[in-house]
Amino acid sequence: MEKFKRKHDYEGLLIVIEGTDGSGKSTQLDLLKRSIQDQSYGVMVSEWKTSRLIANVIDDAKDRNLLNATTYSLLYAADFADRLENQIIPALKSGFIVLLDRYFYTALARDVVRGQDIDWVKNLYEYAPQPDLTFYLDMPVDTLLKRIIGTTGLDYYESGRDVGFSTDFYKSFEIYQKKCLEQYDWMKKEYDFKSIDGTKTIKEIHQIMQSEVQKILDTGILD
Amino acid sequence: MWQCLNRKRQNLAKLTEKHNLKGTLVCVEGIDGSGKSTQLALLRDWLKSIGQDVIFTEWNSSPLISQTTKLAKKKNLLSPRTFSLLHAVDFADRLKQVIAPALKAGFIVLADRYAYTAFARDAARGVDPNWVRNVYDFAIKPDLAIYFDIDPKDAMERICFNRAPKFYEAGMDLKLSSDPYESYIIFQSRVIKEYNAMVDEFGLVKLNAMDSIHSKQVKIREMLKNVLIEKGIEV
Repeated sequence: MEKFKRKHDYEGLLIVIEGTDGSGKSTQLDLLKRSIQDQSYGVMVSEWKTSRLIANVIDDAKDRNLLNATTYSLLYAADFADRLENQIIPALKSGFIVLLDRYFYTALARDVVRGQDIDWVKNLYEYAPQPDLTFYLDMPVDTLLKRIIGTTGLDYYESGRDVGFSTDFYKSFEIYQKKCLEQYDWMKKEYDFKSIDGTKTIKEIHQIMQSEVQKILDTGILD
Repeated sequence: MWQCLNRKRQNLAKLTEKHNLKGTLVCVEGIDGSGKSTQLALLRDWLKSIGQDVIFTEWNSSPLISQTTKLAKKKNLLSPRTFSLLHAVDFADRLKQVIAPALKAGFIVLADRYAYTAFARDAARGVDPNWVRNVYDFAIKPDLAIYFDIDPKDAMERICFNRAPKFYEAGMDLKLSSDPYESYIIFQSRVIKEYNAMVDEFGLVKLNAMDSIHSKQVKIREMLKNVLIEKGIEV
């Protein structure tokens, strides 16, 4: 059971679900939240870009095309810092299981694809605690494309249109998401992701996640 | 490999190397009440009167974020790190949209506060100094950076003759003292200590803020003239 020692000094657990847009993160997060709550643990969920302070600024700036690659990186970093210090760490300190939809890995992937120096971006997030578990939903780019076109439609920034890969939306999305996937590929190893085939059924994916989480819960470190 | 990466991270390439742009970047630094804005205004009027192309930019003024930061400050919502990052957003926005294009076009850019403000204040708030320097890695090295040195008591007398020190200005977020005046002195002394260390680190030119307005302006114009002559501009 040694191997499930916490990776940070807080009481609670930090569990992250990562993956590109349309990989099914939020569906899995909901399922995981319910199954953990059913076992009487306190669960807190926090999603990417939701700080009360900065999230609106990002949306507004995106709408008006005000962002360059540097302000894009820094605004997300500020959003993250605000959530980390005001929500996530306080919850971890009081023993919650914190479930995160995306973590700074998302910023690493997106910022590097936008041409930022990787060491510069890593420095922005170097104070972030290491998650106890990071699930990565691995999806082939053609499946992703279909999912996104079929649901939310192609968004300017999610298609990387601001980077100028192509003026064609479809082409731009394909290039951008491929480049993001390349970033996730090296991060899988470096950050010890539990990679899950995102094309499996919702139920199958949930069972894999649930059993990994259960292994930690069964060590009793939260009791 | 790792050593090499680490060394690279400690090395502020742009802030320590001369830029090759046509324009000239001048910044003034120092705590509030040190007289830097007065000096910059005088310099600006003079440069305009002799026909130079001048652009002025000041700390926390970008349309992208400055209002959000001001609002958050009013509500005392900011942790030191968020405080730092929001100011970095402001700086990055102005650097990329205003400062760098103006320098490329050959303007004299006058900046009321620069990255050094962040280095001084954030370090005084306990943020890791190396971390902040890395965040501002994209900043361009000024051709002339002037630091107005003042005793915090003198600065407080100047800015607080009719009001109490503001929350963040007094470093009240650090809970150094429940008395804003006392907190101000402790906090601004830390900021001043950081500024003084940067005189060597970044080659800031230190001027005594208690000297007369006239004598400081004479010195500043002299220094700027020399910088411009080096660039082949006679004024």
